[in-house]
Parts: sequence; structure tokens; C-alpha cells
Amino acid sequence: MKPAVFEYFSPQTVEEAVALLGEYGDDAKVLAGGQSLVPLMNMRLARPPVVVDINRIESLAYIRDEDGGLRFGALTRQRAAERSPLVAARCPLLRDALRLVGHVQIRNRGTIGGSIAHADPAAELTAVLAALDGEVTARGPQGDRVISARELFVTYLTTSLEPRELLVEARFPAPPQGAGWSWMEVARRHGDFALAGVGTVLVLRRGTIADARIGLIGVGPTPVRAAEAERGLIGQPPSEALWEAAAEAVRDAVSPDGDIHASAEYRRHVAGVLAQRALRESLSRVQEAA
Amino acid sequence: MSPHVGARITRNEDPALLRGRGLFVDDVRLPGMVCAAVLRSPHAHARINRIDARRALAVPGVLAVFTHADLGELGGPLPKLIPHPALTYHKTQEPLASTVARFVGEPVAFVVAEDRYLAEDALDLIAVDYTPLPVVESLQEAAVPGAPLVHADMPNNVCAHYTQRVGDVERSFARAAHRFRERLVIDRGTSSPLETRGVVASWQPQTRQLDIWDSTQAPIPIRNGLAAMFHLPQAGVRVVAPDVGGGFGCKVMMFYPEEILVPMAALRLARPVKWIEDRREHFVATNQEREQIHEAEIAVDDDGLILGVRTTFLYDAGAYCPYGIIVPIVAGTTLPGPYRIAHYHCEFRAIFTNKTPVSPYRGAGRPHGVFVMERLLDRAAGELGLDRAEIRRRNLIQPNEFPYDVGVIYQDNAPLQYDSGDYPRCLSRAADMIDYARWGARQQANRAAGRYLGLGIACYVEGTGIGPYEGSRVNVEPSGKVFVATGVGTQGQGHMTVFAQIVADVLGVDPRDVSVRTGDTTAFGWGTGTFASRAGVVAGTAVSLAAEAVREKTRLVAASLLEARPDEIELEHGRAFVRGAPARSLLLGEVAAASNPLRFTMPRDWEGPGLEATRYFAPPRGTFSNGVHACIVEVDPETGMLRVRRYVVVHDCGRVLNPLILDGQIHGGVAQGLGGAVWEKLVYDAQGQPLATTFMDYLLPTSEEVPPLEVGHEETPTPLNPLGVKGAGEAGVIPVAAAVAQAVEDALQPFGVHITEMPLSPNRVRQLVAEARRSL
Amino acid sequence: MKLEGTNSLPAPVETVWKTINDPEALRRCTPGLKELKEVGPDTYQATLQIGVAAVKGTYAGTLAITDKRAPAHYKISLDGSGGAGFMKGEGIVDLEPHGDGTLLKWAGDIQIGGLIAGVGQRMLGGIGKMLIGQFFKCLEDYVGGGT
Repeated sequence: MKPAVFEYFSPQTVEEAVALLGEYGDDAKVLAGGQSLVPLMNMRLARPPVVVDINRIESLAYIRDEDGGLRFGALTRQRAAERSPLVAARCPLLRDALRLVGHVQIRNRGTIGGSIAHADPAAELTAVLAALDGEVTARGPQGDRVISARELFVTYLTTSLEPRELLVEARFPAPPQGAGWSWMEVARRHGDFALAGVGTVLVLRRGTIADARIGLIGVGPTPVRAAEAERGLIGQPPSEALWEAAAEAVRDAVSPDGDIHASAEYRRHVAGVLAQRALRESLSRVQEAA
Repeated sequence: MSPHVGARITRNEDPALLRGRGLFVDDVRLPGMVCAAVLRSPHAHARINRIDARRALAVPGVLAVFTHADLGELGGPLPKLIPHPALTYHKTQEPLASTVARFVGEPVAFVVAEDRYLAEDALDLIAVDYTPLPVVESLQEAAVPGAPLVHADMPNNVCAHYTQRVGDVERSFARAAHRFRERLVIDRGTSSPLETRGVVASWQPQTRQLDIWDSTQAPIPIRNGLAAMFHLPQAGVRVVAPDVGGGFGCKVMMFYPEEILVPMAALRLARPVKWIEDRREHFVATNQEREQIHEAEIAVDDDGLILGVRTTFLYDAGAYCPYGIIVPIVAGTTLPGPYRIAHYHCEFRAIFTNKTPVSPYRGAGRPHGVFVMERLLDRAAGELGLDRAEIRRRNLIQPNEFPYDVGVIYQDNAPLQYDSGDYPRCLSRAADMIDYARWGARQQANRAAGRYLGLGIACYVEGTGIGPYEGSRVNVEPSGKVFVATGVGTQGQGHMTVFAQIVADVLGVDPRDVSVRTGDTTAFGWGTGTFASRAGVVAGTAVSLAAEAVREKTRLVAASLLEARPDEIELEHGRAFVRGAPARSLLLGEVAAASNPLRFTMPRDWEGPGLEATRYFAPPRGTFSNGVHACIVEVDPETGMLRVRRYVVVHDCGRVLNPLILDGQIHGGVAQGLGGAVWEKLVYDAQGQPLATTFMDYLLPTSEEVPPLEVGHEETPTPLNPLGVKGAGEAGVIPVAAAVAQAVEDALQPFGVHITEMPLSPNRVRQLVAEARRSL
Repeated sequence: MKLEGTNSLPAPVETVWKTINDPEALRRCTPGLKELKEVGPDTYQATLQIGVAAVKGTYAGTLAITDKRAPAHYKISLDGSGGAGFMKGEGIVDLEPHGDGTLLKWAGDIQIGGLIAGVGQRMLGGIGKMLIGQFFKCLEDYVGGGT
């Protein structure tokens, strides 16, 4: 497992990195955590002629609490985000989801930007970004472009980022104080790719649901926002019957693929089971908003 | 002084290993060394029309590309290990496929280049023209007459058909009050040692010496085989199995193609050649195992006493059967277990399929035998309304019935005779440890809380310590340190420690002062290898015998120096002294020095210089360990997810040499057993394409999945060797699938789920629950 | 992997038939096609570069149209091999008159083997279906947009 020949650059600034991408375009791949790219290269499934290693661009690693949410520099390590007191305070859903991304060793190197740009349909971060209506900033030769989660994820391993663009920041709007949340997934072993995963957020006001978010992974080519299921919750008082109905709506919203570990039918079924349990757990974490 | 044998001491090998100072094959670096890579068939079955390596050879740094046409007399089929009269088609592969490739991963070309990067670049540039041929992947389908043939010169895919019978099974079934039948399926798995395979070869033309480092479990047969193949004297070939990061069976072969190709390249290119298997290769190129389909039946009376058992099974051999039919023979001879079974019929057909060839993986068929027997007993218990532990208790062979003749022939071609054991004691101890008596009440309480927990308990007997032989040389040097050499290899079993403990007791020294060398044909040139849970028994006994001979010599020499009689000499704390007069003593090293005079005459009764002796042990038959495993699992019926909450092992391997090392063996075996029950499955598609060739998809249990184990040791020493030891290497893995199956069934009893396959998956468990619900 | 679909096209059967036999349609619609060279009647040598994101493989092979029963039925086969593995795809296309237009029914099967199958099984199914779907969707668009 040795990679094919490649040219290697290690820019020190974002400008340098963007310039390199501008020059090499399709031929270049960005190396951040390397937890997905390097095995692909070692197995020669990916043979990028050029690798642009952004790990020395320190200005790209930050976590900021601004504008009603969390802003992550693309190079923020997943482990840093997982352990950040800001993340715990402002967006515990993200922290809980991060805890299930691979293993600690992977999270020590893997980055927020890298996971989002890689767009694995089982990547926890993509569903959280989708559920919270997050967005990313892409910087290219023409300048910056903001891409919403809805527009970002196109299909398997594919985003709407252009080859000459570098994802520089990801923003996760923070749920309001008192919102309940839950992240649940089913994986065959701790740290494995989820067979199905659900992240939920619930906001209650005067006994009824004011806002509900349901984001799923492992159930299609991209993360799924179960919008119909969410709509069915708004204005309703929480109840077991409501969660059951939401679970059915979630099942209708997903078109999973099967693989050797689990059939499509299993994933669909479990997506509903997890949604039901996650909504129940979210409720238990809600403190009523005034 | 308390004995060293039986002490829980830390391992001699660990200080170096833990500091990264071991020497594994990939650590071997020789001047001028070059690297090899193997081009492997991407098709499960294909004719090889043409191989064009011109573009590869044109790359600077690529030294050679070998195909079958280049092999000459080395191109013939690889040796047949372990022939058997019932093995009618003992097909082995060629080191490089000549006209047909029969499994994905079969070597087609061998590249040598300055480094592995270049070698892999060269692989990309070799163009092979294949014509795909019909593939038969499924064991079930390959056994049907008219299925596509893996070997065109055979009438069908059956390479062996073997039956063993005890008593009169037909009659026992005809007269039985109850008969129950099960179809039981176990799927493919692989050993997954931490270290993949690898070979380094170096040829010195000036001294005509061929040196090989090979991550193998059996270096001496490799040495002998290669010497013969390359027309070299055995004395001119050295094979070293250095530190080996796990073998578990898959590293005992003679040969893997690479074990011939690497030395061949070294000889032809006159440069040292290294080949290290990468993990993805390992998933196609290293032997696999575990696939069997059993149609089994049990006949019992109203009290659940076993009247007869029969099984007819299919065994998947893969595309070739270099290792013969050891695995299915072991499965069939392990099945009777600790139970009294007067009538037994075991019949199997070994079937070729277009998949990686099969050879033993830890357990080597024992897990299958136990799975079948235990599932049959569980079925009988369920149908008759008997307690699962009770039906086992009623059928156990009692302690006063040894030696117990099972009636079949074991894998060593000797009659299967259990020598010793206390089966009822192990069962009741395991039941106590898992708190079996109160299980019913606890299970009810959990169900009331919406939790589904189940308990499984399974018994087994394991054949170990088989021949033909092993040997050892023990030598005391003038430093007082003791040196031991033996022909077995070591892949983590702790031989450097347990053999040192044996010697330490005999010679009265500290185990830290005993160095053990294994796996080097130059250090010791006679032996068969480490497999089948035999090294501790057979090599350990040889070590003990050699040490005893050295003790006698030491007493003889010391006596002459201390002016006493040999029978008055004691050895303790590294000294030889006169009993009753401890001041008259010598350091062991002084005795050693004295035993090797430089001048004058040497006493005739010394029969030569030095405190050194070589001894062999050839056990007349195997010795039988046994045990009981019990576990508690929790199942989520909605997701099918399974969690092992508790795991209990009661284990009797006779005299325990080192409980710490034994625990390690058991822990590792249980982890592999759990892997085979819940996570590990090699999946192939209908075209014979392997779909799980990375650890993303071949799932090994981690510390998150395996609970802390609770292990109890029993010791019924065997009369078959002076140490009283039985083998322990495979025990951990053997009954795990059976125990887990029973536990899952117990957990899901409200749904009426029946488990007849391994491994399970959340998908499958959920499916079984859904199906059972529908039929309720 | 098997997939099937049906689409309705606003053109008569003969027109649709002519269009889907046009090598230009194959050039445009075969995913990742880099080169298509006619080597015989209805037989082409093809070079494809198929991949998703960083994972790309170049496959060299053959594209053939067989079992032609004008103007309503043919089978299209594509097989190629490359460093990352090999692939074999087959699609059966049937045309039926449907009012003034045509119903195009297709059924596809794709097999992927080699390195990519052993490593990428988790997504290969979905990606394979996506590529087959892309091919037939493109054929539909081509028919709809062409004469």
C-alpha cells in the first residue's frame, strides 16, 4: 500500500493554498487531517498528481462564538471541537455527535472542514450542519462564497465546492438556550461508520413545539433533513404518539442503500427507531423557553 | 523455594517488545536489499491468456518481473501437506498461476524493484489479458452436481468425502423417543494477525548460504522444503521466524507462493529480497477458514439423555486445499464433546469454491463441532422443557470414566481417547460464576423493565498436544546463564517465559537467567511447528526432559568437584551444593566451566563436555483440555444490536505453567470467538469478489466490545506427559459462538427467535425478530 | 446491482430509436467517457474515467450494442478494466408507443470487481445506481432535446 507519485506543497497561508488550487485545479487535492485521503492514496484509489497540505496554516484553526453560532476555522481538529467549552455550552448536539466520529486517534487529526468537504454520507458533522441550517465559506481565486448546507451536499463524497476553492470556515447556528438535543446512531462497533444516525433539536414554547430539527446520516447519498417530519411536530404538544408519527415520517423521508452490513430496509427502520428515541431524549433535555 | 512453574510472572519477551526493540520480518534490513510486490488476479476464475510486462520492465528501478514461464522446475504445484486417503483431489496452487486463476488474489506475477513504491508502480503497468470463466462462490451451490467447476479436470467440486461412525446410529435414531434436526451455518472468517505475512531472503554465493526470515509458525519444515526445492543442503539454508506478531494458524503453510518466490528472486538476482504483505493483500492472499454448513440431528430419550448424534456437512476448501482436510476432521471429532455418545455418525464433503484457500484458523474446526453439539442440546432442552445446564449435566462423562474412548480417529491419526478431566466440576463452577441459579428471576426483572438479556452456557473438550514430536537443547554457560533452544516458533505464546520457568524449576535458577530461542533452524533444526495447541505440551516436555538431563550432568560434574556423590548434590538459587553442607557449593557457571576442560583428561562418565543435553518428546496421542464458557448478552430487538455484558470462562488445561500467560491466551481466544459470533464475516459477491478487504468492513472486536473476562482455572493434570500439561492455545475461541447463540436466543425468547447461524449482525437479529413476530 | 426505470418521451418510437442508436448519444451519456472509437458495427473501444471525488479510475474496454430488434429493443453492454478494478454493465432498453410519444423502459445491471469492490462496498451500490441512472436520464434528455 504505497501511493503513486505525487507532487507535494505545504503552503503557510490561505492565500498560498488558494493560489495553488487555482493553478492546479482538478489535479490538486487538499490534505488536512488525512484520515480519509491518505488511506485512499495508499491504496491507489486516489492518485492526485498534486497534494496541497494545509496543516501548517495556523490561521485556519479557531473556534469563535459569534453571530448567534459557532464559527470553526476549517483546520479545527475534531478533538479540539469535541472538548471545547464553547461547543459544550452553545451546541452540545455537535459535541455529542463528534464523540462518535471514529476514534480519538482519528479525531486528533481529522478536521471540521475536512469532514464536511469530504461529504461522506455517514459523517456526523454533515447531518449536524444540515440540521442546524449551517453554512460554509469557500475561498477561490475570485474571492469568498457562502454555501448553505442545503446547497453544499450534492451526492456521495461530492459537494458543490469547486476544485479551485478551499473551504475555510464552517458555521453552525446555535440552538436557543433551553433547547433539547440528542444525537443517536447505530454502528456495529464503537467508532464504525453509522448504519443510521439521527441528530435532533427541540425548542418548546408554552407546552408546544416551536422548532424541531431532524438530521440523518447513513440513509442516502447526502445527509437528510427530515423536513416533513419536522413540520409535523411544529405547534404540537410532545407525546409518545407524536414521536411515533415523526418516526414514520422520517422513514418516508429516507432512501438508504444497503450494503454488506445492513440492508436498506434495516436502515430505514432503524432511522425511525432512532428518531423516536432521539426526540424522546431531546424532550428530556428541554428547559422551557419563556 | 516456591516453584516457578505455575507462577504468574511477567514475560521475559516484553521489555524488548514494549520498547519497540523486537525484530519482526519488516525490521530486517540488509545492504542492497530490494523489494517485491505481487500481481494478483482480480478475477475469481479466469483464463490467463497473456501477460505483457514490457512497460513495467522499462521503469528505472524495476529489476525483474517473473511469471510462471520464468519459474522452470519451481513452477509445479506446491507440496501437499497432510495427505489423507479420503482426500481424492489434493489440489494445490502453483507459485504463479500458469493458465488459470481460481480466486481473487491468486498470484499471477512477481515484481522486484528498488523499493516497494516502484514495485507497486510496476504492478500498475503489467497488462494481463484474462478471459473470465464461470464462478462458483457459494458453498451450497458449489456442492450441487452440475455446478461450475473450480478445477476442470474434476467431475465435480468435491475434493474429499469422509465418514466416521461409532456404534449404530440408524438403530439409535429409529428407537429414540425424540429426534431433532437443525441446519447450522457458520460463515467465513480470517485470522487477522496484527502482523501480516512477510519474507526476506538473502543468498550468499561465496558461502552458498541461503538465509530467510519468514513470519511463519513452522520454520523447520520451510527450511527442509526450500532446501529440497532449491537443491541446497539443509545445512546451507537458515530459516528464522523472528518476532512474529500473531499467527493463529494462517502462518503455518508449506508453502505460500511468496515463500518460494522471494528466495527464488534472491538467488536469481543475487540481492536480498523483501516482500511484506499489506493488509489488503492479507484479506485475499492469506488462507481463511470457518465456512461450514451442517445438517445435524440428535436423538434423545425422555430424560434428555443422548442416544445418538449425526451430522452431514459441507466444508468450504476455497480454490485449493494445501492443508488437506484437517479442519473438517477436527470439527467432526470435536463434536461429541464432554458427552457420552454411544452412536455417532459424522460425514463431510470438502468442496472447492472460487475463493481464497482454506487452512486452519484458531480452533481449526473445533468451534464448529461445539456449535453443532451445543445447538442440538439446546434444541432438545427447549423441546423437552429441560433446563439447559441440566441436560448437559446429565450427559457428561464422569471423572471416573477416564480414559474415555470416543470411538473416532483424531487429526493425529490416533484413536480419540480423552485422558483426564472433571467435566461436571467445570460446568458447576461456570454456573456458579455466572450465577446461573438466579438467572430466571433476574431475567424476568429485566424484561419487566423492557430490557432483553440472555444467558448462554456451553461446554467443550479440546484435543491438544499432538505429535509427532518436538525437541529441545538446554545448555548452561560459564556465566551461569542457561540457554534453551527448541524447534517450535513463537507468535506471542510466551514461550520465552514458560520454557524458562520449566528450566528454572529443574536447574534451580531464576527464569530471568534463562534465554529461550525459538524459530531459528540454525539454533535447533528438528521440529514441526507451533499449531494445534501443542507447543507448551510437546516442546515444553522436551525442554523439561533436556533440562533434567542437564541437571544430572551438573550433579555428576559438581559431585566430582565437591567430593560428594551425585545424589547428594542439590541445585538451588543458581548454585550446586552438597545436601546438608551448603557451604560446599559452586556457582552453576563454575560447574559449567569445569565441565569443559582445556587440558588434561576428562572423566569418561561425563560422556562429553559441557552442561548440555538435547531431548525429544513424541506423545503417543493428544491430551484433552476442556472448559465451559458462560455469557450474558443484552439485545435490542428494535435495532438488533447486541452487547456482551459478562463473559465467564472456566478452563482446565491440566497443570498451568503461567496463569498470566494462560489468561492472555484465553482473553485473545475469547475476543476472536466473539468476533466470529457477532462481527467478523468475509463476504464475497456472486462473482467471487471479496467485499470486505479492509478493517472498515471486516470487523474485529475492540476493547469497547469485549467485556472484562472472568476466568477460573481448574487443573486435572494429564498422565500423558511428565509435566501434566495440556494445550491452551485455542481454548478461548472454541465454545464462544455456541454460548452467544444460546444467550441471544434466551434474550429473545419472548419473540421465539431461533439462532442457527454465525456470525450474527444487527441486521440479521432484527430480521429474525421481525420474522418471529410475524409468525407469532 | 440492478436498477430499472421508465420514462415518457414526446417523440415517436422511430425517432427515439434513431436517436438512441446514435454514437453521439453514447458519447454524451456514458459516464466518464473519455474516448469512443468505433471498431466494428455497433462495437466501440472505450476509455472511461469514472470516479467520485478523489477516487477515480481509468478503465479501458468495450461498448457494444447487441440484440437489436428495430425499432423497439436493444441491449447495451459495457465492460472495462483498469488499475482500480474492472466493471461490467448491461442495460436493456425497450421502446413502446405511448399516445403520440414513446415509453422508454430500461433495466440495468452493473458489476464491479477488483480493488474498488473490496474497499468501497459501502458506497459502490449507491454510486453504481447513480451512474446507471445518470446514463438513462441523459439518454432521455438527449432524445427530448434532439430530433
